[in-house]
Order: sequence, then C-alpha cells, then structure tokens
Amino acid sequence: MGSGNAAAEAALRILVVEDEALIALELECLLDDLGHVTVGVAGNAAEAIAMAKTTAPDVALVDIHLVDGPTGIEVARVLSADRRTTVVFMTANAKRIPPDFAGAIGVIAKPYSERVVASTLDYVADRRAGRSDSDLPDGFSPAPR
Amino acid sequence: MALVDAFASSPSPMVITDARAPDNPVAWANDAFLQATGYDVEEVIGRNCRMLQGPATDPATVARIRNAVRSAEPISVELLNYRKDGTTFWNAMTITPVRDAEGVAFYYAAQADMTHTHQLEVSMRGTNDELERLVDARTRDLSAALEQKTALLHEVDHRVKNNLQVISSLMLLKARRTPEGEARDALQSMAERIGALSTAHRMLYSEGDCTHFNLGDFATEFLADMNAGLDPGRRRVEADVEPIAVAAAMAAPLALLLHELTANALQHAFPEEREGVVSIAARRTSSGMHLTIRDDGVGLAAVPPNPAGFGRNLVEMVVRQMRGTIAWADAGPGTTVEIDIPIQGSS
Repeated sequence: MGSGNAAAEAALRILVVEDEALIALELECLLDDLGHVTVGVAGNAAEAIAMAKTTAPDVALVDIHLVDGPTGIEVARVLSADRRTTVVFMTANAKRIPPDFAGAIGVIAKPYSERVVASTLDYVADRRAGRSDSDLPDGFSPAPR
Repeated sequence: MALVDAFASSPSPMVITDARAPDNPVAWANDAFLQATGYDVEEVIGRNCRMLQGPATDPATVARIRNAVRSAEPISVELLNYRKDGTTFWNAMTITPVRDAEGVAFYYAAQADMTHTHQLEVSMRGTNDELERLVDARTRDLSAALEQKTALLHEVDHRVKNNLQVISSLMLLKARRTPEGEARDALQSMAERIGALSTAHRMLYSEGDCTHFNLGDFATEFLADMNAGLDPGRRRVEADVEPIAVAAAMAAPLALLLHELTANALQHAFPEEREGVVSIAARRTSSGMHLTIRDDGVGLAAVPPNPAGFGRNLVEMVVRQMRGTIAWADAGPGTTVEIDIPIQGSS
C-alpha cells in the first residue's frame, strides 16, 4: 500500500470534502493506515468552508460534486486562499475543473487506487517541506503552472 | 445600302453617336432600340445616351463608359437603364469607336436586354440564401443534439466511475471489519479485481477516444498498482507490453485477465518466503495479440489442486469470452501461461 506509514514529521492533517459517505469513510481508514490525520469530513460547501476555518488543515481532498451540486470548485477556491492549506481535487469529473484549477495543485482521478492516494500525499508533503525535486506520482495530474 | 438596312431591321438594339458633335449625341438608332427604350426616333436623335440612366444606375459603371469613350477604346458593360415609362431593364452593351482619317468619327453601340438573366441571378441568390439558412438551422439542431449526447456521456461516465469507487470502498470497509482469514482475503481480492476494472475504465475515457483501449498504457498503471503492495526486495512484477490498441469492449476482460494471472502467480508460485519475479509480455501477432505471463516460482505441479480455486476458472472463462486460447505449462522453474487472443480488424 504505497509508501506505507508516513513518518511522524510527514503526517498531514487532512480535511476530506466528499459527499459519498462510504468513500469518505474508507478514505479516512486509508489516511489513518498511511499515518495521516483526518481533521474532518464535509459533504457540502458551507460545511467544508466552516471546517477549514476552524481546523486550518494541511491538505484538503476535494470532490467536485457535493450534496449541494458542483460546489467543490468554489470550496477549492476559498480553501486555497489560506496559504496553510494545499488543495487536491479527487473526482470522477475532472472535465469540470476550470483552467486555473481554482487554486488546487492537481487532481486524483476517481476511481483511484490506494497507491495513488499514498504517493500523492507523499508528494504533497515533500512540496510543503520545500523539497520540490520529488517525482510526480502517476495517477495524479498536476495543475498547469 | 444593304448593310444599313440590315442594321435597321436587326432584332438587336443598336445606336450610333456622333463623336464630333458636342456631347456625343445619338445620330442614328434602329427600331429594336426604340422598342426596347419606348422612345420615338425624334426623342432620341440629338441627345446623349445618358438620358437612359436613372437613380439606380451604377455611377461606377457610368464612369467606366465615360473613360472608355474619352480614350476611344472599346468597352463591354452591363448597365441598369430606364425606359421612357420609367421601368428599368439591364442593358448589356458593347461600345466601339469607329475611326476615319481624322480620328474617331462615331461610336457604335450594340445592346442586349439582360433583365431576365439578372432576375435569374437575383432569384438564385435568394434560393442560396434560403438553403444556407436551412443548413444553418439544421446544423444548429444537430450541434444541440450532439451537445446533449456528450453531456449525457459525461454524466454516465462520471456515475460509473463514482460507483466503482463506492463499490471498492464498500469491499475494503467490510474487509477491514472482518477478522483475518479466508473471508477477509476474499474481500480483499475482490477489491483488487474491482481496482483493475477501475483502472481500465479510467483509461477508457481519459484520452477523449472512448472506442479504443491501449493495453500498454493500462499495463504501466497496473504494474505500479501491483508492485505497490509488494516488498520490492523479495518479489516484483515486470511488464513488456507493446502499445496495442483494442476495442473498448475488450478493456474489462483484458484487465481482469492480466490481474487474475498476476495475482494468482504472486499468491501460489512463491510459498513461504520464496523470492521471485512475475513477468508479463504482450505483443501483436498477425491475427491479434499474444500474451505471456511467466513466473519463476515453484511450478504448477508443486501447488496442490484446489477445486474451489476461482482464479483459474475466471481466467479460462474470460479467455473463452474473447475467443482466445490458453495453455498452462510447467517451465521449470515456474509456470508459463501462453494466451492468444484474436483482434477484430487486425491485419
């Protein structure tokens, strides 16, 4: 399962923005296996924005279609405005992502494998630590620079 | 003079003007000309031909005639002229200077009524405009219908992908809550099969071509997923797969097949702590493709027959579905599986 446990200093505090309860629950388990911490699960835009405000997560994994429609784009825009948070889309609907990626650094295409989630989070941790030389994980499409 | 008689009675309107008189007046006109313009002969003799022009006459064409007459050169033009009663007609005329020893003495103009031709052109233009309008309307309708279909395809694609994610999440969640053992292994391997199907499905629509599936691209992702779960120091999966394009309908069975054979080899060929490599090769043949899945493990004979074994069954079913053939052989060391699958339209 990917790189296995993230080292203590690489553990990320993650907000999951996903309206499909089963996917969110399994993702939480996977993040836990990988040594990361899920700080919250939000199913709609208002919830996501409110949770981000109180938790200031390191990473937000954002689906585009939420309970209240394709509002994940707006969520990404608001969350990425806080420089402490790195936003990654996680969607089966990548065609909806605007050209500027709404501030997100890239997208994991659904259906994803656990390996891609693991390697993308390693990549994000490296980037946040200022190590920009790490390889782009396959299965992850970065936003255009 | 016979020639003058012939001109006088010609059905083509003709005019001769006096180039040496002031303002180039009409000196002679035949009956056809009088008939075409509606004037009597005394009404035209002595006057300049511009008497036939009116508000809708094209000034640029008039200027061309004036220039040609001034430089004494022949000219052919079409001009909108007016009859005495105010009605218009398209007059196609050829004006030719006639010289004598001292220079240009007369201008000779032969004419033809082109009104009919012009009407035809105008009505043709109208018909063309109408046709273009109809084609535009039809194209708009078709574009709208196509847009709708594309949106529908995206919607369905999105739902399938999301459902695959839900199904695999379901399996994995249940596996996590199941005590270690046969049931848990079964759930986990089901989740892996769904994972292989998911990879195939994700690749199907990503390149915009939803009718073909590239086995080479699939193998790259599949390999990374398989190796992610292995200890790289002990076991690994290798692949040498040509970029073979197959019909989209073959994506799912091929994905299942590769996954099953690879997972099977990893599970049975290396008991205990035995190290080893599973290699996958695919190449085009004249009638389709040839797949080889080989491991350097303990070999078929060393594995106790398992009547409940699902993997081998599944593989043979899928190969039959694709009208292929399969052969299992002890390779000493290990096992080799050779599969031939025909591809439609392959040369």
